[in-house]
Amino acid sequence: MKPKNRLEPWLFSLPAIIIYTGVVIFPLIWSITYSFTNWSGVGNKVFIGLDNYIRLFSDKTLWTAFKNNIFFMVVGTTFQLIAGLVMAILLTNITKGSNILRVVYFIPCIISSMAICKIFEKMLSVQPLGVIPAIMKFMGLKPIAFLSEYDLALLWVSLIDGYKFCGLYMVIFYSAFMNISRDVVEAAYLDGCNRFQQYRYIRLPLIKNIFFVVLVILVNGTLKGFDVSYILTNGGPGNATELVATYMYKTAFSMSKFGYGSALAVFILLESLAAVGIVRLFEARSHKNE
Amino acid sequence: MNHLKAGKFTGFIFYMIILLFIVIQSYPVIWVVMSSFKSAEDIAGSAPYAFPASLYLGNYAKALFSSKLVKYFLNSTVVAIFTLIGIIVLGAPSAYAISKIKFKQNEKLLTFFLIGMMVPIFSCLIPMFQIYNDLGLRNTYLSLILPQVGFGLPMCIYLYTGFMRFVPDELMEAAAIDGAGHWTKFLKIMMPIAKNSTVTIIIYNFVSIWNEFTYANTFMTKDTMKTLPIGLNDFVGEMGRRDWGATFASIVIAILPTMIIYFILNRQVMEGMAAGAVKS
Repeated sequence: MKPKNRLEPWLFSLPAIIIYTGVVIFPLIWSITYSFTNWSGVGNKVFIGLDNYIRLFSDKTLWTAFKNNIFFMVVGTTFQLIAGLVMAILLTNITKGSNILRVVYFIPCIISSMAICKIFEKMLSVQPLGVIPAIMKFMGLKPIAFLSEYDLALLWVSLIDGYKFCGLYMVIFYSAFMNISRDVVEAAYLDGCNRFQQYRYIRLPLIKNIFFVVLVILVNGTLKGFDVSYILTNGGPGNATELVATYMYKTAFSMSKFGYGSALAVFILLESLAAVGIVRLFEARSHKNE
Repeated sequence: MNHLKAGKFTGFIFYMIILLFIVIQSYPVIWVVMSSFKSAEDIAGSAPYAFPASLYLGNYAKALFSSKLVKYFLNSTVVAIFTLIGIIVLGAPSAYAISKIKFKQNEKLLTFFLIGMMVPIFSCLIPMFQIYNDLGLRNTYLSLILPQVGFGLPMCIYLYTGFMRFVPDELMEAAAIDGAGHWTKFLKIMMPIAKNSTVTIIIYNFVSIWNEFTYANTFMTKDTMKTLPIGLNDFVGEMGRRDWGATFASIVIAILPTMIIYFILNRQVMEGMAAGAVKS
């Protein structure tokens, strides 16, 4: 439809443009400019060219955080994909009560990460004995303080973060399964396709697009992982659960290195853009192979 | 199609797996509710998975009357309401302009907003902190409302344009009184038709606003301005010992509103959050 005058569409959209630009676009550009300075948050910004970026390469903590983050991404993505898929498959295979089941499966998604972390902090604690070590003891195992074990803390952080969100992927996969035409599945059934084959050859290939959508969300989300690591273990023990975002946050707000922190912020931006690009590339290739 | 045909044993395994997931997904919440009714001695003395010895309400009394929890609850509510209003009031007209008013930059404007979906909040946090600090906005509601409105707009506009595009122009023209301008059409015709989109956008954003951690942790340093997620970290008394009973009670109080909304509107919540995730 035509506007009354050239100004009209802008009257509709200007308030949103102003707020959005002020909140998202300007700070993003400023982050990039700050990243070329040495600045502690107060006083003058000193322009130092690419020094912050050169420093990124020799920053051992960053590489530990990056390595941790890759682990966090791989474990979190795999766990959530599998848990989401399994729950969705269970739901598509029951006739009664699937709605109630879906409601229960989704519960962790609507709870704040702070609440989830506090609950798990207590459930995992050894002194006093929490639920999970108590079960281990009951089974005759030695209770382990998972969150203070250097080798296990990151695994638990990844799983708890995944636990919080896997219900979301159940819903996405479930509605994808529901959208598959009944005829296709029925025909396969008549052709003697068993349940496993039905998923392997028919249902899963049919939801491949959704699969890649979920993969993009997961990779993108886990690369920006922050809450669970920051709240539950604060990056520790040592740097065992430090992620790139928590490292950036501490560098800026605890150590007041705003210039270097901005370089890390730009790193997070580029990293997640690159990762999404890579997943998209795989997607394009998998379509070509068909 | 009936799984019972698959034999009794596989059927049994199948239901065991379903049950296992039910336990895993709901146990933490059941556990925290149970623990919130335990007295300090009960928490220290009994097994962590045991039922409370009696229905002890002291933790709730402590959380409600001798802490700032009520104030945090109020803060969270104010932030949530104004953020939601901001997102809808700013987002809906822009989406209308993009999808229903012909002008040269329709597509460019949409792309401009969609860029925001790819921007991690961490890439904006430092300048935000600086700006709010300079403007004296830290420890005000605005410092939580503004960033969440700004980052909420791309999704909102995307969902609205996705819907509004497919509302036929003829319908809008026919329903409008002759000569009605765009504002009338937008308010009187489009917004009522787009009700479902509005519900989706509100629910998706409500859950994430209510649970928001990063901005609140960064911009709210004053005790009286904390929101619920940050406030759950209170109850650390002398010698750094945490009062777990009161913490559990606060957690229950903090998750109650989302739980209630969720049990009433579960379908919309699940679909809204899934839509939000898929689109971003």
